[in-house]
Amino acid sequence: MFKKILIANRGEIACRVIKTARKMGIKTVAVYSEADASARHVELADEAVCIGPAASKESYLVIEKIIAACKQTGAEAVHPGYGFLSENADFCRQLEANGIVFIGPKVLALESMGDKIASKKLANEAKVNTIPGYNDPIGTPEEAVEIAKGIGYPVMIKASAGGGGKGLRVAFDDKEAYEGFASCKNEAKNAFGDDRVFIEKFVEEPRHIEIQVLGDAHGNIVYLNERDCSIQRRHQKVIEEAPSPFIDPATRKAMGEQAVALAKAVQYQSAGTVEFVVGKDKSFYFLEMNTRLQVEHPVTELITGLDLVEQMIRVAAGEKLAFGQSDVQLNGWSMECRINAEDPFRGFLPSTGRLVKFAPPQEVPGQVRVDTGVYDGGEISMFYDSMIAKLIVHAATREQAIERMRDALNSFVIRGISSNIPFQSALMQHPRFQAGNFTTAFITEEYPKGFDASDVPHDDPALLISVAAFVHRTYIDRAARVTGQLPGHELKVGDEWVVLRDGVPHSVTVEAAEGGYDVTYAGETFKLRSDWKLGQALFEGTVNGEPFTMQLERRKLAYRLFHWGTQVDLTVLRARAAQLLGLMPEKQAPDMSKFLLSPMPGLLREVAVTVGQEVKAGEKLAVIEAMKMENILKAEQDGKVKKVSAAAGESLSVDQIIIEFE
Amino acid sequence: MHDIIHQLEQKREQARLGGGQKRIDAQHAKGKLTARERIELFLDPESFEEWDMFKEHRCTDFGMEKQSLPGDGVVTGYGTVNGRLVFVFSQDFTVLGGSLSETHAEKICKIMDQAMKVGAPVIGLNDSGGARIQEGVAALGGYADVFQRNVMASGVVPQISMIMGPCAGGAVYSPSMTDFIFMVKDSSYMFVTGPEVVKTVTHEEVTAEELGGAVTHTSKSGVADLAFENDVEALMMLRRLINFLPSNNKEKPPVQPTLDSADRLDHSLDTLVPANPNQPYDMKELIIKTVDDCDFFEIQPDYAKNIIIGFGRMEGRTVGIVANQPLVLAGCLDIKSSIKAARFVRFCDAFNIPVVTFVDVPGFMPGTSQEYGGIIKHGAKLLYAYAECTVPKVTVITRKAYGGAYDVMSSKHLRGDVNFAWPSAEIAVMGPKGAVEIIFREEKNNPAKLAEREAEYKTKFANPFVAGARGFIDDVIMPNETRKRICRSLAMLKDKDITNPWRKHGNIPL
Repeated sequence: MFKKILIANRGEIACRVIKTARKMGIKTVAVYSEADASARHVELADEAVCIGPAASKESYLVIEKIIAACKQTGAEAVHPGYGFLSENADFCRQLEANGIVFIGPKVLALESMGDKIASKKLANEAKVNTIPGYNDPIGTPEEAVEIAKGIGYPVMIKASAGGGGKGLRVAFDDKEAYEGFASCKNEAKNAFGDDRVFIEKFVEEPRHIEIQVLGDAHGNIVYLNERDCSIQRRHQKVIEEAPSPFIDPATRKAMGEQAVALAKAVQYQSAGTVEFVVGKDKSFYFLEMNTRLQVEHPVTELITGLDLVEQMIRVAAGEKLAFGQSDVQLNGWSMECRINAEDPFRGFLPSTGRLVKFAPPQEVPGQVRVDTGVYDGGEISMFYDSMIAKLIVHAATREQAIERMRDALNSFVIRGISSNIPFQSALMQHPRFQAGNFTTAFITEEYPKGFDASDVPHDDPALLISVAAFVHRTYIDRAARVTGQLPGHELKVGDEWVVLRDGVPHSVTVEAAEGGYDVTYAGETFKLRSDWKLGQALFEGTVNGEPFTMQLERRKLAYRLFHWGTQVDLTVLRARAAQLLGLMPEKQAPDMSKFLLSPMPGLLREVAVTVGQEVKAGEKLAVIEAMKMENILKAEQDGKVKKVSAAAGESLSVDQIIIEFE
Repeated sequence: MHDIIHQLEQKREQARLGGGQKRIDAQHAKGKLTARERIELFLDPESFEEWDMFKEHRCTDFGMEKQSLPGDGVVTGYGTVNGRLVFVFSQDFTVLGGSLSETHAEKICKIMDQAMKVGAPVIGLNDSGGARIQEGVAALGGYADVFQRNVMASGVVPQISMIMGPCAGGAVYSPSMTDFIFMVKDSSYMFVTGPEVVKTVTHEEVTAEELGGAVTHTSKSGVADLAFENDVEALMMLRRLINFLPSNNKEKPPVQPTLDSADRLDHSLDTLVPANPNQPYDMKELIIKTVDDCDFFEIQPDYAKNIIIGFGRMEGRTVGIVANQPLVLAGCLDIKSSIKAARFVRFCDAFNIPVVTFVDVPGFMPGTSQEYGGIIKHGAKLLYAYAECTVPKVTVITRKAYGGAYDVMSSKHLRGDVNFAWPSAEIAVMGPKGAVEIIFREEKNNPAKLAEREAEYKTKFANPFVAGARGFIDDVIMPNETRKRICRSLAMLKDKDITNPWRKHGNIPL
């Protein structure tokens, strides 16, 4: 076994590999860019080597620097993680030439699977299903019909130069194939000046399901069941689970065996993934093979009880697989949410900056796992991926896994930057997701206009109201214990309160009880118990004995509660105060279309206009530098500049006014 | 006897209605509460003891004898806020526009005198059209009587003004002498002369809101300390502030018990200061993570944002916090921020509130606008305030403490009791670059040499050790233990007792 390995990666995967290496008694070497000098993986590793500036192409992607780091530290092998150099055959070759072991597949597998055409050819030869199609230009409609019949309906007719939905037809019978071919060809000619048209099998209601394989250097290859990664946003996986709610044992076996056949064809050793597209009739077709450890590997680990990184290291060290196909387990259900630094309420714009607070849920072996590369007080830089953590749960059934995930999301505290947790929470409670009834188009279909607060209605408003009442009573009771009160005239805090939500009053009675308060609302009593302390973001407690977790922030009079993806502002007042608040005018939110607001925190580099200047839509107004990235703000409509409210060189906060228009 | 009681009931009923239901409705229509509703919200339930409900004015000119109402446009008395005594007057706009008459002023003076005798804060809820013109000089005299009492009470009991309607002309000078001014957005304004006069005299066209609204005074002029959305929010937040303040200058601030441990460490603070000395960070994060229960009551958050002031608690005891804000103007001291912080430090000193100062200051702001504006004198205010201050002073230098600004920000030399520095502290006359450009002026055409000198200067001075070696810094502490170390320092300083030499009063550079 190796004594020391180097991890040629960063972030959560570097930390995750270090964890296993440590468990195996192997020393670890981290490499890092200048931007990552205080990153968690650097902290965790036994040694760390700086390999250059922030940009990946000058650090994490430079083979020579990694090899130099190995030599400098005496690392015998390199785990490449995913991304960066993980599927780079040249990297593997150069390591080998320097006597360093690549913890991954060999050059043959990397090269043959790295080429789309070659891999498809190999798959065909290995008798793996590939999407049937005709890959030469087709001449006439009659020819098209013949080919379509040969493939079997439905088929997709697509222009060679097509894109963005243009030059694409789906045909379910001969007539549609005939007409579709003609119109597609026509459209392609007009739109792209290239009328070459192809036909391939159209996979209906496609799902993205992949098979994890594991091979050793002695020709043993097993499959470790599937992962369903159909929940994707703009081709980025959002949620992954194992097993798939769609796959039956027969399909699993068929897919697994084909995946193993393909792996065998390239003498695959180490962990790899064979991706398939699966149609509604459970027909499946090979897409590509990923010759590396996948982001979503933990869900496979949790259902099989294997440590894939450990297996990769053992295989790389020449060990034989210690088990066979029949030993592979499929226990319970596992699910992974990718936690990204992005703002789901602002079109998923990346969010960078300081993690003012980062407190993931408590890890519980076999139940909740958190793979992350960041820490409380850390920095999310714009140079790398926006994924900051993976939240993985395991439970006996899919329903329980979803429940566990919802709870874990509730207790994941991230402040300072925005995260997609509200979106993940929304997905977890979506009926279609819960029913397992989804395809790769799920997010596009269900959130066609993006995501907003109305996508996450709360199904237990009484709980929100009770918690707000609890929190307010805690604050008021504390304030009422201040010293210096007139003896005999101390404040007696009353039990009658009103909780306001969107201006609607809800009367509650809040009575002190051992370890909490009993809140009576709409005739029902909620026995809330919690050791929550003032100022804490996380509120953990029980309601009538049932545990729950939510998060809160105090904002002047209001409490903002975060639960199950919902954010809601509640104000608690004495009844009389609530009544008088009703007399206060509803203030119109100012019309912000007349303002240019800063979309992100950053440094105002330049204001490109002056007072009185007429601007046209699309014209440059200002430049904001956020994390060394220049963002040009352009006019959304024609207008005249009334006022410039911020000066170049100023630090801007989100929504700060930069320019006012007439 | 029965008659008298009946009459009493009638009079009370009349007084409670102020200017009558119609005017009350008009007040509500303007988005404002009545004088009595405001008191009811502000004080603990049923704690209000009203005085002078039956007082009426004595004016007989211009038909005023026919327009007399009990209370004369102001409701006065005392009550409790979280069980603690406060005196309050609340002007009633429904009665003759809340205008101030001789008798109206007498009512205010009466409770102020009583507040001084017993040592309790005076809270004014202002909503008045101004002097009662019909009375002439009698009303003006009334103003001056209040002004004189404001001055006498200054530094003896806390005085807070809540502007909840118009406050114009001479009327502005009573609030201006109180410790804090709060305003309600869209329904209050303060100015010496109104928009019409402004137009006549200077030909400027300006609305009342632009000239003297809550946003103007909390962000542009600095006259007011906080702006609130409406009367309810304003009064509820005022209750919160009062829980931080002692009732008078002879007592220590109140203690609000906390479950937040004095030993709480926060490791996220170890990465607060960025590696690059020119990159800003948010000082408020440090403040919020240091005080009890993350509860920081910021004063003047929208004015001179390069310095942060406000109240928090450490182990339940109130502290005043002053902190440079690197996010704005790099945390430089300028005219506005010096005045803002100086006044706050003096308030804390007057009322026995320890001052905790967080320092990251690259110096005073250069430029003609600052020099012409008198930065020398205004900057000296903050220096004077810290030097004069005798309450416990704990200072933490997080990063830069350069030049004269280092001296000013509660340094050891100005009787700072405990002065800490984080390892990232750089205490020097100026930044390394500027320093070598002066010291090695003759090498200015040799950038390589200059860079070398800069590195040398950096190693030598851009750290807390030089100051530590001289005892100007008591200890270098880890950011994560900031709360713990401040708590211990304040506990040690609890009974600090020093006095300044006797004098009539010092001569602060006004």
